[in-house]
Amino acid sequence: MEIYAYKCKRCGHLHYPYRMVCRNCGENEHNEFDPVPLPREGKLLTFTVLHSLPPDFEVPTLGLAIVELTNGLRVTGQMRIDAPAAGMAVRGEVELVRTEGYDERFGMVFYPA
Amino acid sequence: MRDVYAVGIGITSFTRLEYPLSEIAAYPAMMALKDCGLSEVDHLYVANMGGGRVNHQTALASAVVDTLSLTPAGAETIENGPASGASAIKQGFLAVASGMHDVVLVTGAERMREVNNLEVTEFVATLTHPLAEYVYGVTLPSLAAMFTRLYMERYGVTERHLAMVAVKNQNAALKNEFAHLQQPITIEGILDSPEAMTNNPYVSEPLRFFDCCPVSDGGACIILASEEVARKLDRPLVRLAGVGQATDTHVVHERESPTDLLAVRGAAEKAFGMAGLTPGDVDVAELHDAFTILEIVESEEVGFFPKGEGHVALERGETALGGKLPINVSGGLKGRGHPVGATGVAQAYEIVHQLRSEAGERQVSGARVGLTLNFGGFGNNVVCLVFAREE
Repeated sequence: MEIYAYKCKRCGHLHYPYRMVCRNCGENEHNEFDPVPLPREGKLLTFTVLHSLPPDFEVPTLGLAIVELTNGLRVTGQMRIDAPAAGMAVRGEVELVRTEGYDERFGMVFYPA
Repeated sequence: MRDVYAVGIGITSFTRLEYPLSEIAAYPAMMALKDCGLSEVDHLYVANMGGGRVNHQTALASAVVDTLSLTPAGAETIENGPASGASAIKQGFLAVASGMHDVVLVTGAERMREVNNLEVTEFVATLTHPLAEYVYGVTLPSLAAMFTRLYMERYGVTERHLAMVAVKNQNAALKNEFAHLQQPITIEGILDSPEAMTNNPYVSEPLRFFDCCPVSDGGACIILASEEVARKLDRPLVRLAGVGQATDTHVVHERESPTDLLAVRGAAEKAFGMAGLTPGDVDVAELHDAFTILEIVESEEVGFFPKGEGHVALERGETALGGKLPINVSGGLKGRGHPVGATGVAQAYEIVHQLRSEAGERQVSGARVGLTLNFGGFGNNVVCLVFAREE
């Protein structure tokens, strides 16, 4: 399973998440993007351990992070790291991140590289 | 454009309120009508974010205009996340400035304590990106926490600075009879004592319980009118001199410099530009301190202090009552409370109150120019208002 960035067919600018008009060149032909899988390697830009969770999470705390990926894109995801530090090398896996009723949602989870 | 004046104001207590949402919106409107002596208005804007989701009530404006027996005046509900209040004031400004209406009533209301705190946090989190943020369990406190960590690294803000904002604003609320929190706190109690971690646990590291605004019910109202109407009323003249709004990326991680709040900067620049004033002209400000870090950063982005020096001004006491530029003397969102749709209007209430020199114990002496900053999303939709006292 992959999570995709969107590359503008006109100027090559990468976006994550999807948007309908390129932020760089403003090309407004819909869906004129090539999906490109997000790289898995990156470093921690910032992070938090959330103690007050949305009611559907059945864990005591939840690690969340913004990671700068090797291609320069940033991604928000969950973090399962015991001693996180800014700038730390991490590796992402696409895993189950939330269950809403019978719906299972997948997303990026970061581990120490 | 015509000049627009704030002629009437009203507010409820911000706390847990046991009456219906439509009445929370209508009660401050009755106060504001009484305040200016008007009994008819051309139009109503009702600011509310959670009616549909939290209170199972949509199209709130239709209920409010009727319960006030102001039909057949036009009425609309304005939803712009936590900036709904100032957005509704902006719509009222446009209606009067354009000449379409002479008197517009803007009321904001929220009844969030109908559900528990976790459900409220979850409801507010629905303003984040569904696939790139919300799905992970991202909440507003967690976005603020990740932002705080970057700000600490880059500019030397510490947990002590955050606690100083909490103490300043929560204790300021003791002088505001309408404020939610009426309990004094100390740095000792929330940061330094052995009990501090019990008194003040982490909500989302490094943000603690006392860094976050409470969940409140409440309503506030402001009546806007043309100069012709305003001059006939027996109230001090306060002009809504500047209105600015700016947006930023929906997703927080897409911002080029993750420690900038460009929508705050842009909204303030536009508001000052329209008013023909500068940050140095401001005597009193109400900033959107939903989290303590935001007061520090917003005080920089609106232009009061250079970037990275907001916490230094805080240390020097410049932003406290009696300082050079008092911020959130009402208690702010932190002390007064944050019923999301009402907040932007409550900020305007406080500034008009101050510019009329009617604020009693918390009056900023000689205040002539005031600013409000209403922060929607995590900084993706921001409205700034500048008010000026006239003779």
